[in-house]
Amino acid sequence: MTLSSCGWTLADVRTTVQTASDVLYIYTWAGYTDRDLLNKFQQETGIRVIADVFSSNEEMLAKLQAGAGGAYSIIYPSDYMVIKMKELGLLTELDRDRLVGLDQLFPQFESPSYDTDNRYSLPVSWGTTGLIFNKEQLKPAPEDWNYLWDNQGQIYKRATLLNDAREVMGATLRMLGYSYNSTNPKEIQEAYEWLAELKPAISAFTSDAWRSQIVTGDLKIAMGYSFDANEVMEESPDLQYVLPKSGSSLWTDTLVIPSTAPNLEAAYAWMNFMLDPEIAASLCKRLGFAISSQAGFELLPPEIKDNPTLFPSEVALEKSQGLIPIPEVADLYDRYWTRLTSA
Amino acid sequence: MSVSTKHQPPSNNFGPQGDSGNPRFGSRWLGPLALLGPAGVWLIFLLVLPTLVIFEISLVPNIKPGGIVNPSGLDNYFLAFQGVYIMVVLRSLFLAIGSTLLCLLLGFPVAYWLAILAPQRWRNLMLMSFILPLWTSSLLRSYAWITILRPTGVLNSVLGFVGLPGLELLNRPPAVLIGMTYSFLPYMVLILYSSLEKLDRQLLEASADLGATPPETFWKVTVPQALPGIAAGSLLVFITSLGDFVDPELLGGASSGTAARLIYDRFLGQTQNWGFGAALSMLLIMAVSIAIALLLKYGDRDAQP
Repeated sequence: MTLSSCGWTLADVRTTVQTASDVLYIYTWAGYTDRDLLNKFQQETGIRVIADVFSSNEEMLAKLQAGAGGAYSIIYPSDYMVIKMKELGLLTELDRDRLVGLDQLFPQFESPSYDTDNRYSLPVSWGTTGLIFNKEQLKPAPEDWNYLWDNQGQIYKRATLLNDAREVMGATLRMLGYSYNSTNPKEIQEAYEWLAELKPAISAFTSDAWRSQIVTGDLKIAMGYSFDANEVMEESPDLQYVLPKSGSSLWTDTLVIPSTAPNLEAAYAWMNFMLDPEIAASLCKRLGFAISSQAGFELLPPEIKDNPTLFPSEVALEKSQGLIPIPEVADLYDRYWTRLTSA
Repeated sequence: MSVSTKHQPPSNNFGPQGDSGNPRFGSRWLGPLALLGPAGVWLIFLLVLPTLVIFEISLVPNIKPGGIVNPSGLDNYFLAFQGVYIMVVLRSLFLAIGSTLLCLLLGFPVAYWLAILAPQRWRNLMLMSFILPLWTSSLLRSYAWITILRPTGVLNSVLGFVGLPGLELLNRPPAVLIGMTYSFLPYMVLILYSSLEKLDRQLLEASADLGATPPETFWKVTVPQALPGIAAGSLLVFITSLGDFVDPELLGGASSGTAARLIYDRFLGQTQNWGFGAALSMLLIMAVSIAIALLLKYGDRDAQP
């Protein structure tokens, strides 16, 4: 089989695994579900939920493509991954008649750019990418991405950037006045050159290790997601999150039903459960992520509503952009990124 | 080893050579077959065939999941010999060789003491305590090193307490070497111990009787006898550290790209290119195979008394 001369399809996704109708398998990010939530869902619907977690969109996609995702009826991809999965034919078009409460979302989520009219996905959580810094150690406080370049001496080896080519290159592009989704090779090269200049001052490219190190004071500043920033700020009062003035990336995590989903009934039940304003509000309070439900937002206490890390003002969001897949220059980004992180 | 055995016609390997009188064919084949069969099937299905699949994928330029596997050439291999990738491979080699040498330097005295000098009845207990770290997950051990090496960590607290200046180790190459050496030292000690344990003590006494100084005895009698163990231990540490993902990733900082990370990114990173990833994997497999082949050729010869 393996050595036959005719081609075979790499990582062909196979369909449907049989699962019991009263069990729902979901594939989600760590921190998006907890025991209470799963128990409550079981009380209301009688469906037992088994949640597996992934740590990156790419890991999730690879698992699906390796044919190991057949049991899942609900998956939590981010915005750009929704586009990619849609193109790969991995998603089921949602039946809007079976969803209750779609009109209670924030206006910006009624028809998001990554998925017109939410045809394939349902936004659950959103946030921004910015800088978390120690306000006791860094004065004056950083306001924009260029702080990193202007204060290299002060932050030398006490700063981390995300381990994500698009986020890091995008932030640099934005600082230079270009788009997060630039496809112009000249602009991309310029961003790389700026980053190469900053690199000696950077301690690591990491998407999670910075969290414990900034709490202990080993880092002065880190690039991170608002969701994580909110979490570490609860651990240390010295930490503060700033949404960079020149703009940041706006990300949305969504619910989708994969085309191989074995249990559609339970999948829609889960979506409606998550659309319930009470549930959304309780998740925001308990797990600390920004929700997409405006009705849920209204139920929150004022101190959470006014938390600028979770719910930044419209003005602050104006310059922010969502990342979209740019396959035509993906190799270019990858080459620069490999050079940056390997040299 | 067993793989290559499996590839050759068994008649070359088993039974007396040139033995023409062979009345009971069945019993001659049954033994080897029953002994090697289960492991052989295991190796063919879970090692040989998958490696062949990796090799086939490595011949397809720029393939992603969903693409058609239609081998067309060695482009992916040529790609691996470009500037930045060479640097990554050299860094992997540097880290692997460095941690092998460190393990040897630290491990030999320990193994020597355990095998020759330590009181007999404590030996097993002490050997056991030395291997104890292997009982915890390697991830956990790397995280422990972060706690020790970070700028305000355990090490610098101790150094500060005794009035010494702090060290900046975390997120730099020394931290990776420390982590790898710590991770793989027990393997080195185990292998050196089993090799030194068999040391012929009468030779040591004879050497002393004939007027050799202790250093001469050590270099001319002990070390040559331990050479197969040194070679096997070094090779094991070299191979495991060459493919190590956790330590460079967690301890290495901004310039820690290794071959393992490079391969990981081709498969699970943002720009998938399974063909190039497979080619890099094949190069790693080939490098390791060559190292093992060299060991089998020269290591065995040294093992002759």
